Amino acid sequence: MRRSDKRVHNIGRQAPGYENPQNRCVNGGFGDMKKLLAASALFLSFAVHATAKNVDLSTVPPRDTVQLTIYNSEDLTLVRETRTISMKKGINPLQFSWANTLIDPSSVDLRFKTHTDELDLLDTTFPHDNPQMLYWNVRSEYDGDAILEITYFTSGISWSADYVCISDAKEEGMSFDGYVRITNNSGEDYADAQIRMVVGTINLVEKITTLARNGFIARGDLDAYRKAGIAGMSRRGRDAARNELHEVAAAFKMKAPKQIVKEGLSEYFIYTVPGTETVKNSWSKRMRLFQGSDVPFQIKYRYRPAEYGEQLVRMFILRNNQKSSLGETPLPNGVVRLFRDNGRDGLSFVIQQTTKYVPIGQEIELNLGADPEVIHERIRLSTKHDNFWYKRSGVNAHYSPQKGHQIEFNDKVAGWDDHQFWIERIRNYRDKPIDLEIRRTFPGHVVFRSQLNPTLYDYRTPRFTTQIDAGEKRDMPYELVIHQGYNKKQNKVTLDNKS
Amino acid sequence: MSISSLILSALICHMAIPCVTTASVKLITLPPRERVEIQLDNPNVTLVEEERLVPLIAGVNEVVFGWNSANIDKNSVQFRCLSDPAGIKVLSVSYPPGENALTWQVSSAKTTSARVRISYIISRLNKSFAYRVVASHDEKSLTLRQYILLHNNANEEFGSAGMWAGFGERFERPIGINETKSLLSAKFTEVHIRKTYSANFAKYGCLDPLKNQLRIPMHYVLKNDTVNGLGRFPLQPGKVRIFQDDGHGTLAFLGEDMGNFTPRDDEMKLYLGQSKDIVVTRTYDDMKKDTVHGNLYDLEVIFKYEIENFKDEEVVLDLTESIAAFRRDMLRDIDRDVEWEFGENGMLKELWDCDESNAEKVVFNITLPARGADQKAVKQVHKLHLIIRNEW
Repeated sequence: MRRSDKRVHNIGRQAPGYENPQNRCVNGGFGDMKKLLAASALFLSFAVHATAKNVDLSTVPPRDTVQLTIYNSEDLTLVRETRTISMKKGINPLQFSWANTLIDPSSVDLRFKTHTDELDLLDTTFPHDNPQMLYWNVRSEYDGDAILEITYFTSGISWSADYVCISDAKEEGMSFDGYVRITNNSGEDYADAQIRMVVGTINLVEKITTLARNGFIARGDLDAYRKAGIAGMSRRGRDAARNELHEVAAAFKMKAPKQIVKEGLSEYFIYTVPGTETVKNSWSKRMRLFQGSDVPFQIKYRYRPAEYGEQLVRMFILRNNQKSSLGETPLPNGVVRLFRDNGRDGLSFVIQQTTKYVPIGQEIELNLGADPEVIHERIRLSTKHDNFWYKRSGVNAHYSPQKGHQIEFNDKVAGWDDHQFWIERIRNYRDKPIDLEIRRTFPGHVVFRSQLNPTLYDYRTPRFTTQIDAGEKRDMPYELVIHQGYNKKQNKVTLDNKS
Repeated sequence: MSISSLILSALICHMAIPCVTTASVKLITLPPRERVEIQLDNPNVTLVEEERLVPLIAGVNEVVFGWNSANIDKNSVQFRCLSDPAGIKVLSVSYPPGENALTWQVSSAKTTSARVRISYIISRLNKSFAYRVVASHDEKSLTLRQYILLHNNANEEFGSAGMWAGFGERFERPIGINETKSLLSAKFTEVHIRKTYSANFAKYGCLDPLKNQLRIPMHYVLKNDTVNGLGRFPLQPGKVRIFQDDGHGTLAFLGEDMGNFTPRDDEMKLYLGQSKDIVVTRTYDDMKKDTVHGNLYDLEVIFKYEIENFKDEEVVLDLTESIAAFRRDMLRDIDRDVEWEFGENGMLKELWDCDESNAEKVVFNITLPARGADQKAVKQVHKLHLIIRNEW
């Protein structure tokens, strides 16, 4: 397990700004052997960090609890940890350091969970010589234990969602399992951490990783720091052993996958992993978020060049709602891997695609790409031109022979109509009827003439739908009348269902 | 599995004995593969499914799946228990840094040997298709064999793996590292073919430009439908080697071509080379402009084709004229659709293949009789009268 470089030192040295001889030695009572050991173990370490004195004494209170709230929209994690410290009446200097991590120093905050009326944070000092450290001076009105809560932002911890879908062989239903994966590259091990993940977008003025690095040791120095290993190895060993024990004990108790709790909060959704998890630095951990079975879906064929390119694509459409045995939570953006039972006691891989955030109730679209069993062709049968208008040189007027105007030899064509006759041909070799939708966008002043009962998706995009039977080949004809030149009066498509 | 880089290990460490996980002495079982299926039906991705009998003890088990150099997509690896899916659950998956491995924490209700199926996407285990066709001596039919070529550069061997390409038969074969295996996936006999001779100035150009003699490429055309002996599934793209029964019990190699993806009811055209026995010259017999109004005019053109068949057998020539290309060459390159119609002075209209023709090209099927007993070819002269309307 990686060494933890982050710690709170209850120090026996005077913190900046105060001269109080009574605090030369705190928490190092000879009756408390554990703390004494800890103090001894960290003595040399602290001597390295604290340059103001050559000889000092400190204790290192371990974390009691730690909670990670990870945001996936930004490289941001809120860490909330508690530690128990013995306070002496008077001024108690504390040192908090986070060498080799990605913590935003401006975010570190200290609160008292106990004795709030008897404890005051007097000041916070960021020493110029070690930017990954701060000092707190706490005034206590009593002698005894206090529980501190330290919160801070760190970067380098992220979570992501992914989904595994397996369609049945008949393509009528599918399993839809969601997973979350937590990746820790923060430089710090988090043992026995309660983990919460936030779905939603937050606004940050500055990136946490920038804040963590600005004013700190240079990147090369940081790496050298990591390679050399900083003091505290004996403590690390103890922590590792303790963490392993906790991990193993927790694992032994657990016989079923954890049911991640999902709840809404304002514009966000929060997933909470029950119990605690250990996420070591540089490791990832993946857990099931939800499990959907027998999720119904529709199969649609769509030709929408703006969305799917110049091809007819096969879509699986399902909905994130309770009727589909989903809808317990919005689906965070993530990778969807779709398989299909191939009917031969095995799976076929169908597609892998990234899906955007899907709110509860919204459709999930899985694009399977072109289907070799459904062939789409667009054929132009013929073209003709008519409705000519002419412009006469030197005269600001237009003339049309259809209007009975006399056309002179030097008159130039200035406007006309193109008539394009097209068919959309579909061949369905599947053993089921298919639902088809075709959208085409036509720039210019266009009349879309057909008996396909089209509607307008937008002002220049006719859309029509139909069902093609199994084994059927169907031609869907239409005519485009494109007003050109002087005849072009609009930039829109008009539907004409009369022909 | 001696060379295999894929290892599935079950750590025999019941979680109640914490010292085992941290001890340097470990007992690891290495369950071998019981079954492997390589799914080749996706055009771009190969999915491997393998089954192993994994010993599990009651409680939480760690099952480590690692690969040294195989090209496995770590994020695609799935664990599914087949023997007791209700009693054996994956609790979480851990991904150690910098390693080609992952660890499943698996909870088992009892101590058992679980049949587990592990699926993953592997790269560099690819397939392609190749065809071998043997045409009959009279070139009326052929036998087509389709082969799947499996190229294993995935740094992993598969002892006896089932393979399925999404159609046809399932195979069970071993495949070693860096091996390529050719598997007969389908065989079609008595496939009716059409040998075509094509004349298309815009597409194939001239053999002798000074004499306006057109190139006449030859093709075997296979229609992928049941009537013609195919049509079971779309034909995948691949190289086609073409042979012909030479009538003496041996085969003559005619050449090879790349076959395109051919959906059902579509045609696969296999290029055979240039015909020297069919001679077609193309000239413009007449051309004139007729003013309509102002600068608007119609362009009338008469194409003349002189055609000779020096073969001893009757053939059909597919003659194509691209009106769009003609208009580009003769007029100017304008971004406007061409409007045309047949004129009255050509007889080719009666041979019009309206299925193959469209707004920009016309196609005719012309039967050419065999040369006569005097070895003299009959010269046919055909005229195509087109009126290109409303140009300016």
